Amino acid sequence: MLGTLLSILILGAMISAVYALIAIGFTMIFGVGGVLNLAHGALIMIGAFAYLGLTSTGGMLSLPPMVGFVIAVAVSAGASYAMYAGLVQFIEENVVITFLATVVLALLATELVTFWFGTDPYQLVPLVAGSLHLENVGTRVRYMELLGFVISWIAIGLLWYYVTQTDEGRSILATSMSERGAQLTGVDLDFVKSRTWLIAGAFAGIAGVFLGSLLSTYPVMWLNPLAIAFIIVVIGGIGSIKGSVVAAYLIGYLETVTIQFLGSSFQGIFSLVVLVVVLLVLPQGLYGREFVHE
Amino acid sequence: MKNAGNKTVKRRTFLGAAGAGTVTTALAGCLGGISGEDDDIFRIGHLAPTRSQMGLGAERSIEIAVDEVNDDGGILDQEVELLSENTEGQVDEGTAVVESLIQEDNVDLLVGTFVSEVTQGIMDFVADRNVPFIITGSADPDSITEFHGRDYEEYKNVFRTGPINSDLQAEAMGQYAEFLSDEHGWEDFAILADDAAWTGPFIERLPDEIEDLGFNVVHADTMGIETDDFTQYLDDVDSADADAVFRFIAHADSAAFVSTWQSNEYPFAVEGINVPGMSPAFWDATEGACLYETTSQSGAGGVTELTDRTMPFVEEYEDRYADEDPPSKPMYMGFNSYDAVHFYREAVESAGTADYENELDGIVDAMLSTEHTGATGEMVLYDEDSEYPNDVQETRDEDDYISNFPMTQWQEGGEVECVFPEADATADHVAPEWL
Repeated sequence: MLGTLLSILILGAMISAVYALIAIGFTMIFGVGGVLNLAHGALIMIGAFAYLGLTSTGGMLSLPPMVGFVIAVAVSAGASYAMYAGLVQFIEENVVITFLATVVLALLATELVTFWFGTDPYQLVPLVAGSLHLENVGTRVRYMELLGFVISWIAIGLLWYYVTQTDEGRSILATSMSERGAQLTGVDLDFVKSRTWLIAGAFAGIAGVFLGSLLSTYPVMWLNPLAIAFIIVVIGGIGSIKGSVVAAYLIGYLETVTIQFLGSSFQGIFSLVVLVVVLLVLPQGLYGREFVHE
Repeated sequence: MKNAGNKTVKRRTFLGAAGAGTVTTALAGCLGGISGEDDDIFRIGHLAPTRSQMGLGAERSIEIAVDEVNDDGGILDQEVELLSENTEGQVDEGTAVVESLIQEDNVDLLVGTFVSEVTQGIMDFVADRNVPFIITGSADPDSITEFHGRDYEEYKNVFRTGPINSDLQAEAMGQYAEFLSDEHGWEDFAILADDAAWTGPFIERLPDEIEDLGFNVVHADTMGIETDDFTQYLDDVDSADADAVFRFIAHADSAAFVSTWQSNEYPFAVEGINVPGMSPAFWDATEGACLYETTSQSGAGGVTELTDRTMPFVEEYEDRYADEDPPSKPMYMGFNSYDAVHFYREAVESAGTADYENELDGIVDAMLSTEHTGATGEMVLYDEDSEYPNDVQETRDEDDYISNFPMTQWQEGGEVECVFPEADATADHVAPEWL
């Protein structure tokens, strides 16, 4: 029993760390711009496929994994920025149009990737190979999982420092609380939003490389993570970074416990139950007060 | 817009043209190739999830078969036309395209279907219309036993020319377990299977097959087809101290399965059936993580000469699609789709008719009496009174091992080798080096 609990503790932490990265990007864009960015999932996929294209040993470039990782994250961040600068900034005042446009972008990206790579899944070259055999626990942890956990916390820590300790970052936080208030204090909204999309894209790219390595890389790999991010963001409180981190671990562990005791067929059911309970009991989410709707 | 008035079609002219068009269209519909002998075109409808490598390999393979048949005079002197449709592996899409192929395109033969649930979803409609239908991808025995077994007369136009059904595959896996024991001394086996129709026999029959041979089944479980994290399943096999796990994956994410197994160096071999792993592109797709894993497949991956038709077909495929998207070999459904066309041609030419509307019994009799040498092996169907009516028979070697469902293994350098049965083997079976 102790082994099972330790196994849950370790495996839950790994997957929760990746969920947190996805949810933070998703919630920042909603918090700052009020945009429900359904193309956020496609950015996860773009990050994974960029890494695949850059590092695949059978490919043209076959770059070292760490170089490929950095470029893939940059590609994902760039795609996110391009999405905002090329389309969303012109339509973001209309919530429905923006919502639909991001869906279309996600589907377009999926079709393009399907055209180039097909529907069959790929495995990515791991950034670090090998694994740790925890004999007493009865499980094995890949170094890639450990690295994902560490990089997730470094990214979250840097973001935390940025939005709380720097003026530029604080302008993001301020905009998420009150767009008009931020504007009155001289915040350049366009600049803030552009940076938010860049950061969200980078986080999605990191998550994409780890999801693609630990699970699989295929064109619709983003559907489940996006649905989970949506649940996490609502539970954590829309717009709250802290809420997203806490809810990501809540959902990550809930899924791990469910898989451990009930099997993978039941993986997502309890997350939905928690979502419904939160919507009924605490509609603003766990940390929803950070976001003040205008 | 100038002169627009002069070009306006008068009402009476329009009605006349529309009327003539309607009559012509209606007549064309009546005259279309409904039953195989009423026009000069013999139409084959092919069904597969063609955006997957398995489906694409099947589509290309049947194109080759159709070209060969046309080069050799067609079917009953009719030119063969191929209409390939994407089922997307979904029951509703499969049903829609089959209805269109039968009602609008008036196909003379249906070939294909990969997902067993899709096959069963279209069965009643196809049986009702009497169009001969040859299954080439689905292995679920229920597709035969639950339909033909219940009402043979109703479903007699449905055949399977390959692969052998998964009841027989389960028996073949038991024999393979015996081979593994002889080779490596393995005696404790685990079973993991997709939670899907085709894998039922591997959960229900395979444990008995293995235990009857004196070995142990130390763990068995099914995996949801949406599963992409296999750590827990592999941990369970590890805890049970299995020497090898027989895993049966067609739907689930087998690249993640094999990658998790390899990167964690679980101390057991991975054997059984892995449909995505039959693609030559699987080595690159998994970055070589599939090294040492095996899969059973009709056609043995195109790496060994099963009959004198095997390698000419494989070489033709490779020549045509060398620079195209993967797969670079036909994969198992490709072999079966290729063989199905030649099998059907041989049958209806011996019957002297492909007119399924008026002479279906003659076609069925010819199908059941045809002995065809295909690219996958010698092909004969079970008759009406057998356990699997209209289903392809297994072939057996002198040791009574089932020989038309050979095993292949990924070996060093990304080479696919046939490892079982020994008569067709191109290399010895290799145990993972970390065991």
